[in-house]
Amino acid sequence: MAEIVAAALASHAPLITGKPEIARPEQRERLYAGFHEMRRRLAAARPDLLVMFVNDHLQNFPYSNLPAFCIGVVDAYDAPSPGGSKLMRIPPRKLRGAPRWSMALLEAGLAAGFDFAYSYEIDSWDELAVPLHFLNPDGDIPVATVYTNCAAPPLPTLSRCHEVGAFVGHFARSHAGASRVAFVATGGISHWVGTPETGRINPEWDHWVIDHIERGDVEPLLRLTWEQIERDGGNGGQEIRNWVALMGAVPGAKGEALAYEPVPEWITGCGTMWVHA
Amino acid sequence: MDHGLRHDVGARVINVSYPLNKILTALAKAHVTRDRLSDAELAGHDLGEAEKTALLTGDIRRLYDLGANPYLIRRVFRPRFPI
Repeated sequence: MAEIVAAALASHAPLITGKPEIARPEQRERLYAGFHEMRRRLAAARPDLLVMFVNDHLQNFPYSNLPAFCIGVVDAYDAPSPGGSKLMRIPPRKLRGAPRWSMALLEAGLAAGFDFAYSYEIDSWDELAVPLHFLNPDGDIPVATVYTNCAAPPLPTLSRCHEVGAFVGHFARSHAGASRVAFVATGGISHWVGTPETGRINPEWDHWVIDHIERGDVEPLLRLTWEQIERDGGNGGQEIRNWVALMGAVPGAKGEALAYEPVPEWITGCGTMWVHA
Repeated sequence: MDHGLRHDVGARVINVSYPLNKILTALAKAHVTRDRLSDAELAGHDLGEAEKTALLTGDIRRLYDLGANPYLIRRVFRPRFPI
């Protein structure tokens, strides 16, 4: 049996660490302060496992093989790899995985009707490397990952992501392989990346997402379609699937915005939220 | 068993070009960044004329419309983006 000791949501973008100097200083400092507060609370919660709801950006899963949901069963994550470290300006490092816990999650999921894919090798991009640069700087907390396809449509529905999160939450509470579990989801909020609208951010939609999470009112999020998110949140906004999965893992929880900044230089509506699990 | 198919049959199908995404994935993995691709880089790939033209001119809007994944467009044609 395990206790859920923390839950948190954070945007990820390679430029948050890769080009901090191009953002307006006041925006950068407010956002960094949000990450630092998240780190402070996470450290105080003393988790012995970080379960991360994240997404690939086609660096691991190509169009020849694209899982909707994939469990990382790796011994260690490149977070970042030597190649990724140049863009993110974070020294390359290996982050310890939790392969036994993750394999147990995989088997339990398959038995319960969640047909996860799995991977023994993951080259993390900003989905792990950037937020964990702030949240797990010493790399002393092992990491288990649930990857959701948010980048290569067609994508799983938000409702299904919520169900997957609910299952992961149930498993985490009942499995003996960890005793103090923290959930962290990364991605979003609105951003247009690589599309003709690259650089657009929609703060109004971002606040709509944040407000619903603060109230613990996730039902309207679950009804969002791919087309609606693409229109209002951009292709990067599809990553709120990870946030929705985490909210499924902590039913009834309400969020608290730590920081929100629409940072055009980082082409992302950047948010950090604590979730009172 | 209700598989829910009747609700979405006939709905818009997302436009994906596997040939475009295959070549862009290979270039991204090799950390290639270009303003536009060359004929030599297209050699051996099964691409339509519109896809070839878009790659050779670095036309990111056309690539997007043809079904190239925007994350791959950004990684390969990074010099095309002002940000």
